[in-house]
Amino acid sequence: MDRETGVLALGVVTMLAVLAAIYPILPANGENFSELGVLGPGQKIGGYPTTVAAGQQFTLYVYVGNHEGQAAYYQVLLKEGNQATVISNSTSANLPPVRTSSLVLEDNSSSIIPVSLSMSTAGLNQRLIFELWMFNSTSTSFSYTGLWNQIWMNVTAT
Amino acid sequence: MYDFSHVLGYTNRNAHMRPENSGFSRLKVALLLAIVVLVLEVGSPLVSAASQPSFIGASSAVQSAFVAVQTAGKDGGNITSLVAQLNGALALVQKASEENSSDPAQASADLQSASNIAQGVQSSAAGVAQQGISARQLQFEVSIASAVVIVAIAVALYLYGDRIYRRLWFRMYRGHVVKKVG
Repeated sequence: MDRETGVLALGVVTMLAVLAAIYPILPANGENFSELGVLGPGQKIGGYPTTVAAGQQFTLYVYVGNHEGQAAYYQVLLKEGNQATVISNSTSANLPPVRTSSLVLEDNSSSIIPVSLSMSTAGLNQRLIFELWMFNSTSTSFSYTGLWNQIWMNVTAT
Repeated sequence: MYDFSHVLGYTNRNAHMRPENSGFSRLKVALLLAIVVLVLEVGSPLVSAASQPSFIGASSAVQSAFVAVQTAGKDGGNITSLVAQLNGALALVQKASEENSSDPAQASADLQSASNIAQGVQSSAAGVAQQGISARQLQFEVSIASAVVIVAIAVALYLYGDRIYRRLWFRMYRGHVVKKVG
């Protein structure tokens, strides 16, 4: 190995070592996001109830993940809607929540919340809507994250 | 203030009462008022159940505690335990809302416990934040020192690398004998 190659190798190794040494103090610059998922009774994706009787209790699981780069205080709002219910990534459903579950998550952590509930209104193509809201420390209020999920089901009269 | 006099119907009678009876009448009125207040208090489910302000107070305490915990986390503190406690407080608030109609006394107790937990978390968060700041400062110093040491070693190798290499080579082959071949 000639001297030039040796100096080059030394420079590269030095740069890598310095980067490794200061990596822990470099600011993280990843994309921040939250996660919302609805799991069936077996805590897996699938097996969702498609037909339930009004008032009949059933259990689902809600998965919430935090990758916001800081601790987050979430609320999962469950709403009963139908085909006419309007919801999007920017607008939450204009319905009163039938149930609210709250949780605090550290950064890069997740949780699965069991939710026991029943549908009150009988009818075809009813929607069980899950919305994720997050606490804003600046405004000291919850705001809609734009994350939502839904389960379509037929609700029979008891 | 609401005038109960017409309800209790004593005003006109009082006007014609003798002075020695007026004290007794006032006592009767006071007793009736006390009974009315008692009946209203016992009869109203809103008063007997954990009140809305209790829920608001507990939720507000949790929110304040969360802000403190979030700040401690941003400062590099280990907030795992604080987050677990906050979730415990939230579970108590949830439990209180579910049992409020059936067992209001327990609901109030749960809300009080939730508030106490949240206040405890909030007061602990300052210490955790301070620990985080100290740990982050130490890590910063260690990282910078490591980088300086690495660069110093690289410079030393560049300047004295040949000499060091030769010395090592000679030490390694100190006992080596070169034989003449042929």
